[in-house]
Amino acid sequence: MKFSSLKTMPHNVIRDTLKSIERNNLMSAASVLSVIAALIILGIFLILTINVQQVTKDVESKLELKVFFQSSYTEAQKSTIEDALKNSSMIESVNFESAQEALDKFTVSLEDYAPLLSGYNSQNNPMPASFIIRVKDPRDLQAVQTLAMTFKDNGVEYVRYGQEYVEALVTFNKFTNTLSIVVLAVLSLISIFIIYNTIKLTVFARRKEIGIMKYVGATNAYIRAPFILEGTLLGLMGAVVAFLIIRIAYYYILGLVGGNLFLPVDASLASPDVVMTQLVFFFLIYGGFIGAVGSVFAIRKFLDV
Amino acid sequence: MIEFKNVTKSFEKNTSDALKDVSLFIDKGEFVFLVGRSGAGKSTFIKLLLREIDATKGSIYINNYNVANLSKKEIPYLRRKMGIVFQDFRLLESKSVYENVAYAMEIIGKPEKQIQKRVPLALDMVGLSHRINHYPHELSGGEQQRVVIARAIINNPSILICDEPTGNLDPETSYEIICILEEINRRGTTVVVVTHDREIVDKMKKRVLTLEDGILKVDDATGRYGYEV
Repeated sequence: MKFSSLKTMPHNVIRDTLKSIERNNLMSAASVLSVIAALIILGIFLILTINVQQVTKDVESKLELKVFFQSSYTEAQKSTIEDALKNSSMIESVNFESAQEALDKFTVSLEDYAPLLSGYNSQNNPMPASFIIRVKDPRDLQAVQTLAMTFKDNGVEYVRYGQEYVEALVTFNKFTNTLSIVVLAVLSLISIFIIYNTIKLTVFARRKEIGIMKYVGATNAYIRAPFILEGTLLGLMGAVVAFLIIRIAYYYILGLVGGNLFLPVDASLASPDVVMTQLVFFFLIYGGFIGAVGSVFAIRKFLDV
Repeated sequence: MIEFKNVTKSFEKNTSDALKDVSLFIDKGEFVFLVGRSGAGKSTFIKLLLREIDATKGSIYINNYNVANLSKKEIPYLRRKMGIVFQDFRLLESKSVYENVAYAMEIIGKPEKQIQKRVPLALDMVGLSHRINHYPHELSGGEQQRVVIARAIINNPSILICDEPTGNLDPETSYEIICILEEINRRGTTVVVVTHDREIVDKMKKRVLTLEDGILKVDDATGRYGYEV
């Protein structure tokens, strides 16, 4: 729509739009309800997606790769391996953990059960020394593992990282993304269709007016504007109500769960405030958009005079 | 100024053409009647002028512009050069007389001050100053048609097209309406009246174009009806 036609719109357009929504109150209510229903379902999927992404990112960033040394490794082997790793562009940092440090760490982590390890000392230490490697991109973990494994039996015993978790999370992440897109598409079509029908009623009720406007020389943009405004308003109303419902429900559920994720990895959920900010923007844009699209389709036929 | 050059209009559904090779010229400031039986092509003529439909063959000029060359976006601006009066009035029932006339100015973006000045003038011209705050259902047919005329001329069109303006009115009221149209014509507006109101045509002694089965049969400057009823 051209800006010039907005400027010249009579000031009573908003009043007429509200009047029209009131006149079609039943269909208008149905439209708003359908947008609310669609957005609540979408909101659930969106929150799920945002959180799964957050958890995946969190877990990935914490992932480290451990290269365990053979108990018989030599200093020469250690420095050869260290040089090879440090020359790789995939690697962020390489830290050495000696057998003694590993034992100390393990002792600390056992807390009350630490005395179980009291029989071990530097002479009979069962813990291997290792390099703890952080990679720049979690997707390179596999490649770094392969690189480190080239030194197997030349000082390296084995290499490992939380492979299973990462793969499961990445798969789940892809799944929720795809599902969200499918749900988004289906629900959008339904909502657009219902808004389309509502606006069609409005257009039909005002077809005489549209005819007169056309004969007096009103531009299409000018004729279209109030109907698009009405559809957009219906979409926005649905968005606001849906957001409030989702917001109340989400904080309530978070309170019940208390941040406990029941996940076998150490990761945190996305901050609720961040999720809600993303959600409110998405809802408003989406609600307004489907309202406008439905209206454009509804009025197209009647503009053809 | 309206000019038709060998205009033919055929519709897919019908075997015979709605207009057949029609050529005519209506000069600026003329008052012309267009007569003919139902189905003679009168409605097609009006629809072509408004570019609701396109001519199949030939070309149409309005104020020296070839109508066929206008893009869809330019059509509203063509229509602003023409005022239209309908047989069935087409007033908005929910708006008062003043609002109905003001509406035509509002939708082409005229400033409020200009609207407040011009609407009473136009209503005065059609003799409806005393009905300014009434609603269409409170008016007689003749009064409603006067509102329509006021609405059609409010934006100073160069051409006024009237589609059976007296079709729903009694003879006396019809004559009053035609006299208003004549007054508008005297002020310089080209007026085209499509009608089959024989009495009016005979009385006015204006130029008469007669359409018969899509053909321009008679173009008589002295006001004789081109066919016998």
